[in-house]
Amino acid sequence: MFSLNNNLELRRVTITSLLTCIYLPSIVTVISYKGLLYSVGNASSVYILVLIFVAELLKSFYLNSGNECQVKKKSRNRASDIMKSIVFLFGVVFCFFIAIILFGAPVLEQHDGTLLLSSLLTLLTVFPLIAHTGVESAMQLLFGVKTFSRDTIIAMLVNNALMTVCGAWLGAVVIPLDWNTPWQQWPIPCYLGAVGGYLLSNVLTVTKVTLLSASNKYPALNFFVNVINRLHISK
Amino acid sequence: MKMKEKWNFIIYLVWFSYLILSAVLMFGQGFLLSRKTLSDVSECVPLEKFGCDGHENSSIKLPCSDDDKIRRILSYSGSPIVCAPKKNKVALILVDALRYDFTEYDKNNASPLYYQNRLPVIRRTVDKWPNRARIFRFMADPPTTTLQRIKALVTGSLPTFVDMSSNFAAMEIQEDNVIDQIVNQGNKAVLLGDDTWARLMPSRWHRSHALYSFHTWDLDTVDNEVDSKIYDELKKTDWDLLVAHYLGVDHAGHRYGPNHPEMARKLKETNARIEKFIEALPQDVILYVIGDHGMTETDSQEWKSTDGDHGGESKAERTAALFAYYGLGFAGDESDRAIGREVQQTDLAPTVSAALGRPPPAPSLGNLLLPVLPNMPVTHTLLHLSNNLKQVTQYLVRYGEESQQISSDKLAQLINATRAQIDLATEVYTQPELRAYISDVRNLMDKVRGAFREVWVEFDSLAMLRALLLLLLAVFFNWIVTEGIPVEHIPNVFSSTFVPSGLIAMAVCISFCFTLDYFEMIDNLGHAIILSTGLVSGAMTCLLVITHWDGITQRWSEGRSQFYERFARTALFASAAILVSNSYIIEEGATLSYLALTVLGLLAWNVRTMKSLLLWAGFGFVMVLTRSYRGCREEQGDCWTSGEGISTGNASRAALVLALGSVAAVIAIARRHVGWRGYGVVIAGIFACSHWAVGWGSLGSPSRSRMLARGAWLVIVAMFALLWKKDGKGPTMPLVVGGLLLYLANTLVLGAAFAPTAGLALLSGFIALNVVPMLKTEGSTKFSLTTRCSSSMACLWALLASYHFYGTGHHATLGHVRWAAVFHAGDPNYTPLGTPISVALMFVYLFGMPLMFGATVPLLALWGRNGAGSLGPRTQLLAVFSLCLKFALCFAVRVFACALSATIHCRHLMIWGVFTPKLLFEVGSCTAALLGALIGATLTAWHVPSQVRSS
Repeated sequence: MFSLNNNLELRRVTITSLLTCIYLPSIVTVISYKGLLYSVGNASSVYILVLIFVAELLKSFYLNSGNECQVKKKSRNRASDIMKSIVFLFGVVFCFFIAIILFGAPVLEQHDGTLLLSSLLTLLTVFPLIAHTGVESAMQLLFGVKTFSRDTIIAMLVNNALMTVCGAWLGAVVIPLDWNTPWQQWPIPCYLGAVGGYLLSNVLTVTKVTLLSASNKYPALNFFVNVINRLHISK
Repeated sequence: MKMKEKWNFIIYLVWFSYLILSAVLMFGQGFLLSRKTLSDVSECVPLEKFGCDGHENSSIKLPCSDDDKIRRILSYSGSPIVCAPKKNKVALILVDALRYDFTEYDKNNASPLYYQNRLPVIRRTVDKWPNRARIFRFMADPPTTTLQRIKALVTGSLPTFVDMSSNFAAMEIQEDNVIDQIVNQGNKAVLLGDDTWARLMPSRWHRSHALYSFHTWDLDTVDNEVDSKIYDELKKTDWDLLVAHYLGVDHAGHRYGPNHPEMARKLKETNARIEKFIEALPQDVILYVIGDHGMTETDSQEWKSTDGDHGGESKAERTAALFAYYGLGFAGDESDRAIGREVQQTDLAPTVSAALGRPPPAPSLGNLLLPVLPNMPVTHTLLHLSNNLKQVTQYLVRYGEESQQISSDKLAQLINATRAQIDLATEVYTQPELRAYISDVRNLMDKVRGAFREVWVEFDSLAMLRALLLLLLAVFFNWIVTEGIPVEHIPNVFSSTFVPSGLIAMAVCISFCFTLDYFEMIDNLGHAIILSTGLVSGAMTCLLVITHWDGITQRWSEGRSQFYERFARTALFASAAILVSNSYIIEEGATLSYLALTVLGLLAWNVRTMKSLLLWAGFGFVMVLTRSYRGCREEQGDCWTSGEGISTGNASRAALVLALGSVAAVIAIARRHVGWRGYGVVIAGIFACSHWAVGWGSLGSPSRSRMLARGAWLVIVAMFALLWKKDGKGPTMPLVVGGLLLYLANTLVLGAAFAPTAGLALLSGFIALNVVPMLKTEGSTKFSLTTRCSSSMACLWALLASYHFYGTGHHATLGHVRWAAVFHAGDPNYTPLGTPISVALMFVYLFGMPLMFGATVPLLALWGRNGAGSLGPRTQLLAVFSLCLKFALCFAVRVFACALSATIHCRHLMIWGVFTPKLLFEVGSCTAALLGALIGATLTAWHVPSQVRSS
């Protein structure tokens, strides 16, 4: 997926992934230290989403910062772009919300939990894509009109998104078990699963870049690179 | 050119089904084995035959008191069981499903529920004559079905699970029991009521008035018949034991649930009866009024008047009531007579035997219930207790000889403990000593019973392991055949001599087994046949795999399949693997819907058009709708405590409208597209609708409604026969009509309350069927065998079929099976083919969904504009065959997982509550799916033009 051709992009990808690997665990650590980890399904935990939103926004600024032409293009009709993005994002949140209910979330109750989960999923999957490429290309990506295999940054973002959804999907596995633990409450396992999936994807990215650059010196490491390549779903 | 392989495909599917089902049968025979039944009979020696030195036929002929004699006998540890001296008569009134809390009386309860405070006579009697009356909790052991309970009551033993299957054809008891004990001694027993007693113990009754007991909707006939006889019987003096079995309360529970005015009526009748019994009771008769089991706990809700079923092992089902009354007063002190004390049902057999002056039946593990026996001197009590201990010791010794279930150490320990306890009897003189002794005996007996209960399912581990091996062989090699051998090679395989030679090999095996059996060289013919045919088939398929190894390796090295395909396979294996966990079995409905939705989601994602995503959302919406119909089992907690059991199928007005609407919609839409066969579907649908409409509510006419249901069945069966009429238009139409007919059959047996679920299942299948043709094929838009027949389709279909078992309101628990489906078109027991019809109706009721989905598997390949329907007959058949085999494999994998988990958990706490029912229901689903796939494949083979075009 990655190549060492474009050094600038690669550096950005590595640094954003590293940043994620730092800020996301610190948020989780802090809230679990405060004893609030099992309240992520309540409406009172919106601040976590806000934190993640800010962090992702900053990351996307960093990712876009070098792109002069994009900045120029954007500055022309920035306001309408932002409006479109917001509307699109709300649409995506709604789609996630419906899909989660279809998958088995309670239909008539605990809407706040479901809504929080769908917002989190949107923030971790679609939002970075939109912030990076804009609404039109994000939609094109979603519906498979455009391919992205050349673009390292988009490949990373798509991979992150897929891993996040997989994490949330896998999180649901523990819900039916009869252990009666507080973290089996809806939507905590899926919420944490999504965060975990996102984190894992970023860790993998960092590891891979490290290995890639190291394998220049030590070709034996290529084996591990191939292993990690297999773990990436987006192909 | 005639196609030789056409019927070989079908034969191969039959062969595969045989392999799976025979292995499952073998597993069941090993797993559901009962305890060893011993044919021993308890004997006793009358007290007169003992001499004063305590020895039998003693030479010393001195007169002495009975007390002295008994003391001597007790001091001699080797003495046989002594017939107890005093004899009473016993009237045993069994009120089926008399739960303990029905008998409670709370005068402060201002607004009692329909089952509360309806039996005031019991409390009044106990309060008025504390010496004469007792009311206890009468704890049943699971399984709590009437047949098992009666067996347990008369033998004093613990019934085992496998007896359950014989509930509809009750067989004669092979063991010693109370009735045999008294009848063999020349005493007389009279039976009134439920004919299960007469079937269990035929030709033992002095007089019997047994009545057919399975009209569960008939609340009064049996009770009134018993009432008409019982008061006369009570006046007669020629009997020693009177058994009367009332069914009304149980039937009211089954039909309406405990919280219903009908239940109040039946309980009031029971109250009046007990009052009259107490009045009419002769002095020397002990009256026992008992319930054989309880019924499930429910609170009536607006739409759902919930059920009063039984069969499982919940507390409410296990807690029955025991009311005893004796005019001359019972033994026991304050602590013994405590109201609501828990006593075991196994205790009844030795107690009744003792009251009648007989030893406990040989297999009894019960403990004497002295508080419900007449007052007697210390020595007599001791005699009864030592009789009880001696009988149990004998049973322990004999059981140890016959079976190695209980380790010899433990058995020896128990035998020594009981012998020591017998010897201790000589040191008991005063009442406090006696009390201590009684409680020691009780503890010891509890220990013995616990030891037996722990091991009492003797698994035949060899048969189980062999069966698992056979299942694994069949599944593994057939998996390689379907996934490995390149599709192009399969027609060659089946036009070769592979299938005929396989059949010949099987025939040789079977004849060989019969020969060996003739010379008595094998013990179990059935197992030998299953094992040898299974192994030979495994070897044959293995050979097939070896000869095609090149093709297999080539196909597997060609690269990975699509992601959705791999995922679908994983999802199916996951759905099988989680059957090892009881939590997932309990929540299986949600799990299956989750997996099916994900698989279809990935298919839709592969297509990635707006239409496919919308179809997926529609599919998900249908699944959400079925959620409200899903049943609730006790282990699920939330829904159970909020009172949603399974509803009895008495439809509300809204449910009726929904049912009529769903059927009308389906037939209105379907009829235009299925040609002349549409008329049949419409007529059957109209019959079904009018069946519900006419039979609904209190104004309905049940008899007319039943006639209409029969009409609907007639049309369905006739249309099914007409499916085989060739019209040369290919197999798609007959398959669609077959699916619709099965849908109508399902709605009929599900009843109006659950009929919409069948429509939802049909709709979900239809949506899935429409997503499938959209899948991208590599390169051309032409039909692609690898895409359309990939295992993801079969897995999706199997997940759907399994899900809709839950989606139609069922649950894998034996206690929740409703028998109403058998009776919706009248009682089939009145017709000459009663049993097969009942079985078929129950089969369709429980497993109609796997059947429907199985029969429509070929559509996965044929459906759509780019389906196989436009291709040559050979390709069509090939596609259909490989899909059907894959679908059957999916179910085989699930059955294998169930069998494996039952093996792993055979000592698990929930083995009888969760894992075994799941295994049974999964086997049923598998059978239905195999049958359905077979019907579908045969229909296709029948309608595919048999002439290959010359081009």
